[in-house]
Amino acid sequence: MVLFWLRCADAWRAVLAYRLRAVFCSLSVALGVGAISIIVAATEGAYKQAYDMVDRFGPDAMLIFGESEEARATGRREKNITLEDVEALRQAFPTAYLVVPMSSRWDMIVAYRNRKHQTRLTGTTADYSRSWSWPVTEGRDLTEQDVKGLRNVALIGRTIVQELFPDEDPIGKSIFVRNVAVQVVGVLEERGSTGPGHNLDDRIVMPITTAMKKILNEKDRVQAVRMRFVDATRMEHFEAEVRAFLRKRHGLQERQPDDFRIVSPKEIIKFLVALTGSLVVFIGITGLLSLVVAGFVLANLFLLSVNERTPEIGIRRSVGARRRDILAQFLLEAVTLTAIGGILGFGIGVLGGPFLKHVADFPMHFSWKAFAVGMMMATLVGVIFGMQPARKAAAVHPIDAVRKGS
Amino acid sequence: MTMNLCVLEDIRKTYILGDVRVDVLRGVSLTIESGEFTAIMGPSGSGKTTLMNILGCLDVPTQGRYILAGKDVTHMSDDELSRMRSEYIGFIFQSFHLLPYATALENVLLPTLYLDRRMDGRKRRAMELLALVGLEDRAGFKPSQLSGGQQQRVAIARALMNGPRLILADEPTGALDSATAKDIMTLLSDLNAQGTTVVVVTHDPEVAGYARRIVRVRDGIVVEDAQTASKTTERQAHGVVLA
Repeated sequence: MVLFWLRCADAWRAVLAYRLRAVFCSLSVALGVGAISIIVAATEGAYKQAYDMVDRFGPDAMLIFGESEEARATGRREKNITLEDVEALRQAFPTAYLVVPMSSRWDMIVAYRNRKHQTRLTGTTADYSRSWSWPVTEGRDLTEQDVKGLRNVALIGRTIVQELFPDEDPIGKSIFVRNVAVQVVGVLEERGSTGPGHNLDDRIVMPITTAMKKILNEKDRVQAVRMRFVDATRMEHFEAEVRAFLRKRHGLQERQPDDFRIVSPKEIIKFLVALTGSLVVFIGITGLLSLVVAGFVLANLFLLSVNERTPEIGIRRSVGARRRDILAQFLLEAVTLTAIGGILGFGIGVLGGPFLKHVADFPMHFSWKAFAVGMMMATLVGVIFGMQPARKAAAVHPIDAVRKGS
Repeated sequence: MTMNLCVLEDIRKTYILGDVRVDVLRGVSLTIESGEFTAIMGPSGSGKTTLMNILGCLDVPTQGRYILAGKDVTHMSDDELSRMRSEYIGFIFQSFHLLPYATALENVLLPTLYLDRRMDGRKRRAMELLALVGLEDRAGFKPSQLSGGQQQRVAIARALMNGPRLILADEPTGALDSATAKDIMTLLSDLNAQGTTVVVVTHDPEVAGYARRIVRVRDGIVVEDAQTASKTTERQAHGVVLA
């Protein structure tokens, strides 16, 4: 064990002695490892974000929009789901513990005294906060009485609190939504954003009845329905059943496409992973290529080094080093350099990651896993590309190496 | 008690260079006892360097038998030869051959990296050896910061590190001025006086003069093998005069 550390110290001295070799080898490995740790971080980040979103969305939840794929693609507004549909779903699916209709508009002006703010209005039922696992932190939640009685009450998000009530307690205050006076009864927990322009806290939530009748001028059409099921493991099955049920209710023929759209957790994951996939492939190929280039740089510099250090090899052999000791020494030097390159590369990744995030709004998650993968690649490069020069060094014959005058 | 440290029996070494067959050693038999101070002399091309390589287990004979410290090394593998060098032999070269990037102390410690047995207090021992060659205050110096004579002293300390039975010196003073050469040879004589077997390969009669036995090699065979009056005694006589 003592011997091992002494040999490491020995290799370390050689690494330090040949500085130019050290700088080029470790830098070239660093670039490759940097790219690779960014990939691993991006992949992990994407999955983490996907699962975070699913978590927020609810792993047992699905969202049914009242517009067809076609309408969504062309930007046409459709509302094909009625309050009757919602009631029918509630009756037909006892396995769904929540069936919550929603109607929303994003361009709603809310005002309190002389302050104004444009926000998203969501009309929904008493179960909104529960259906999105989104707790009310101040005041109270919406109740069934609020919905049945078309009461002018609202829950507001954090952003609205900041905009309208910078230094006041909002609970019990009256605000204007369009021209309707509404009383603030509760504040939703801070949620943050899911991307630019998607500030979840910028919203006001009211009973769907009040919103449809008094503000949106809508008779019975809702924008979306959110359902949560007791058994999260059978979501695919439930999705198929809901689809069949709605198609039948809407009288769609075999050939006709759905006039609604179902979003499930699986779909969210698929979308995010696909988004990440292309970038991962691109950086992945770049990273692997630069690692191979780094490997060739290392192999060449080490071959030069072996030639230059032939006398040294002879000395070591003459004092008792076996061929495998020489091989081990040069491999140790190579791996030391690539490991340094690996650490540098991870540093480059961690520093460069936020830049990429800035440019492409890409989720990054640097973990020990990214570090471990990077270090493993670096070590592999050291062993694979250091092997040939190390073999050459080991094959040096001591009597050639210690010739007089050399 | 004397014992036969090196026994060479009819050693032949032949190199084939393309179509040309070169007989470098043509039947050398030689016995070196423990405690001897032997000089191997001969003009260049005489085969003396090849003889030294074989004595030092750096090379193996084409024919014949070599027994070192009671072990037949003739058919040993490369690893086994390395082990013999590590355990029994200390080399001193004409151009010192220190690692340029390591300090004097680290150079002296180098042989312990390849030692097949435990060694406790290796650093202390290395410092003692540096003190023995008069360089205890230069332990942290790199070879480039040392004079030629000092570098050769470090090389001698390195040769002694694993406690060898045989010191093999190949033209140890070839790169030194005569005054420094004298110091180095005196040091080797002192080591020999303390019991280490020393073999010097040289073409310089001045150097050979320190030995008590001179083996002359020419055209691959031993042409003369003679005991001489060692310069050690002469030197002591000189010392008296100079004092």
